[in-house]
Amino acid sequence: MTGLEALAGDLVVLAFVDALGEFLRPETLVGVLVDGLSKAALYVMIAGGLTLIFGLMGVLNFAHGSMTMIGAYLGGLLMVLAVGEATGAGMRLVAFFVAMAAAFAVLAGLGGAIEVGLIRRLYDRPPIYQILLTFGVTLVLDELARIVVLFYGIQPSSEWQAAFGTKPYFLDQQVDLGIISVPGLDLFEIGFGVLTVAGLWAFLTRTRYGLIVRAGSEDSEMTEALGIDVRRVFTVVFALGAGVAGAAGTLLMWDASWGASVPLAADTLLPAFVVVIIGGLGTFRGTVVAAVIVGMADAVTTWWFVNEIEFASLPEMTVFLILVVMLILKPQGLFGVEEVGGH
Amino acid sequence: MILLLAAYPGVYSVLLNSPLGTEFQTVLPRVETMVVVLYFGLFAMSFDFISGYTGYLSFGHAAFYGTGAYFVIMAANGKIPLLGPDTPFVYLLALAGLFAAVLAVLIGAVSFRLTGVYFAMITLGFAQVMYVFIRGWDYAANNPRDGPAVLERTEPFNVGVPGVDSLTLAIGELGGDTVEGLLGVIDLGTAEVSYYMVGLVVLVSYFAMQRIIHSPFGRVMIAIRENEERAKAIGYNTFWYKLGAFAISGFFAAVAGGLLAGFKRSVSPDNTFYFLVTGDALLASIIGGFGTLAGPLYGWLFDEGVTEFLSKRGEGGGLLPYLRENLGEGLLSTEVFNGLTVQEGIDTFLNGHAELYIGVLFVLFVLFVPNGLLGTVRDRIGGPVAEVVAERLRGDER
Repeated sequence: MTGLEALAGDLVVLAFVDALGEFLRPETLVGVLVDGLSKAALYVMIAGGLTLIFGLMGVLNFAHGSMTMIGAYLGGLLMVLAVGEATGAGMRLVAFFVAMAAAFAVLAGLGGAIEVGLIRRLYDRPPIYQILLTFGVTLVLDELARIVVLFYGIQPSSEWQAAFGTKPYFLDQQVDLGIISVPGLDLFEIGFGVLTVAGLWAFLTRTRYGLIVRAGSEDSEMTEALGIDVRRVFTVVFALGAGVAGAAGTLLMWDASWGASVPLAADTLLPAFVVVIIGGLGTFRGTVVAAVIVGMADAVTTWWFVNEIEFASLPEMTVFLILVVMLILKPQGLFGVEEVGGH
Repeated sequence: MILLLAAYPGVYSVLLNSPLGTEFQTVLPRVETMVVVLYFGLFAMSFDFISGYTGYLSFGHAAFYGTGAYFVIMAANGKIPLLGPDTPFVYLLALAGLFAAVLAVLIGAVSFRLTGVYFAMITLGFAQVMYVFIRGWDYAANNPRDGPAVLERTEPFNVGVPGVDSLTLAIGELGGDTVEGLLGVIDLGTAEVSYYMVGLVVLVSYFAMQRIIHSPFGRVMIAIRENEERAKAIGYNTFWYKLGAFAISGFFAAVAGGLLAGFKRSVSPDNTFYFLVTGDALLASIIGGFGTLAGPLYGWLFDEGVTEFLSKRGEGGGLLPYLRENLGEGLLSTEVFNGLTVQEGIDTFLNGHAELYIGVLFVLFVLFVPNGLLGTVRDRIGGPVAEVVAERLRGDER
């Protein structure tokens, strides 16, 4: 190595140390933390329904992303319709909750119908067929969405652009947290993530139906022997999972880094898979922890990519690298049970 | 069947010139499309080789397809050490295959500790890591998101015996050789030459895989699919068998990818490494017959056929231009429902939306025809088509 190269090497190291120092400043850390948590909240909303379905039924639902995508369009559509009526921030927020509830209801209905009409026929076949079936459903749903969007000219129209701006003004602003100000939308998302986790957790552990769901995922034959119609529980859980996906889509519609589009189906499906698998397929607790891990890793790599390393795909790649490393080290996931892996 | 495929370009041009030419042009895929059918069919076969025969759903199979395609393009651009841009195409295919096989061993070594859904997911994870990587790797292409094209190579991509000019022919979508006066009568255009030369590679690969399936090694693969515990109990080290099958499968997937690169002369991350590429192979395998080696080719033929039939531009035929020409203005502008004219209806529901119908069909196949086209035919007649036909012809009693 010549002296010049050694100097260049030193400079790289120095730049790295500088960046590290910058990264470790409290302002940066808090910013990254909030960013990571808001991402984690979105991940947990996308993946929550998926893990619920897998935990009980052992079905890996490939159509989950499409449901999120449909939820995003539906939510956006309702917001566009509502915003003409309501201009105040409070009213907009109310309209948003109505839109989200509507998206939840519609997709829960769709999910229930898919379970009853299609998936129910496949329980006695090898699990591979359920993956295949939901994969086919995804193709159909995506193409239908594409046809509808094209036919009504939804996407390029200026009314649709307005959906993006239907956020109440305080979500567009920076909120002061003392040392640093963060986007209001991030905090809103975090709040929603916490609500979703709390809601699903309460449903699973505090209601009678949740008890049945947990019993069913533990040992469905035994539950059936106790006189519970497990098939109907399957339908309800599938509908619930799809509904959560739809509600998540409504939230994504407001987020500048996601937005409603047909490719959103694949864009959300893959991270959802990653989160669910890292957490251990079918364990809700694992999914929450994994969402936080993936969200933080995403936020940290995004920061480094913006400030230091020039490799645009880094944050996206990290998510899958975590998946691969996790599966190599602990195939059943963080909180997974070995037996579930036997599927 | 091979004869039928071999005769296709000739039959196609004869049919086009027949009185029903327009109708045939509408229904039948073009020869150019058939080339795509062949190499993608090979990829679907290699997918079926591992997934259909051992029961391990390799959801990241596109990784090997993409490796083959990028290997050929990068070698042609002189970006692979020790390989000049003018290395014969056949060598490139073999090297790409070997490279992918090594990759498959590496990926398989960690993946085959898992089963079922987990195996599908870890292979998907590897493929997505590669997809994202290649999309950001500016060594591979100036604009990695769009993918590289052949820039350096002066020699065309030839299939045949390297060094013997009379036994090699060039392939390519835009370039490529033509043959005039073969055996005194046959003239072949560039599309036909590509069709036969790509077909040759696919045929050789098919027979190679067929041979492996029917060897004791293939028997063990099927044993693993049917009952891995039992296969282990008999004394087979199933891990090594699975790894071997995965490597072979990766080899042929890369050959298929190499053919794609050779024919198109450019590749993109989205038509090679992306997970929906594996999804297409899955579609082909299910429709054609999961666990039948030739099935995926028919499945993909069907898929491409439908796609082209419903394609937007309708190059060389398709439903849309046909309807436009034959329905007449009056009917086309008739209102059906709420201001929706027939023309708009066709545009909305048929124009380029083949995915929808293929998806519906796929769901129906999964539900009602789990063995696929070829598998069902086999079940009906009681054995592989070729064997049964041969027996009938010989007049053997069954």
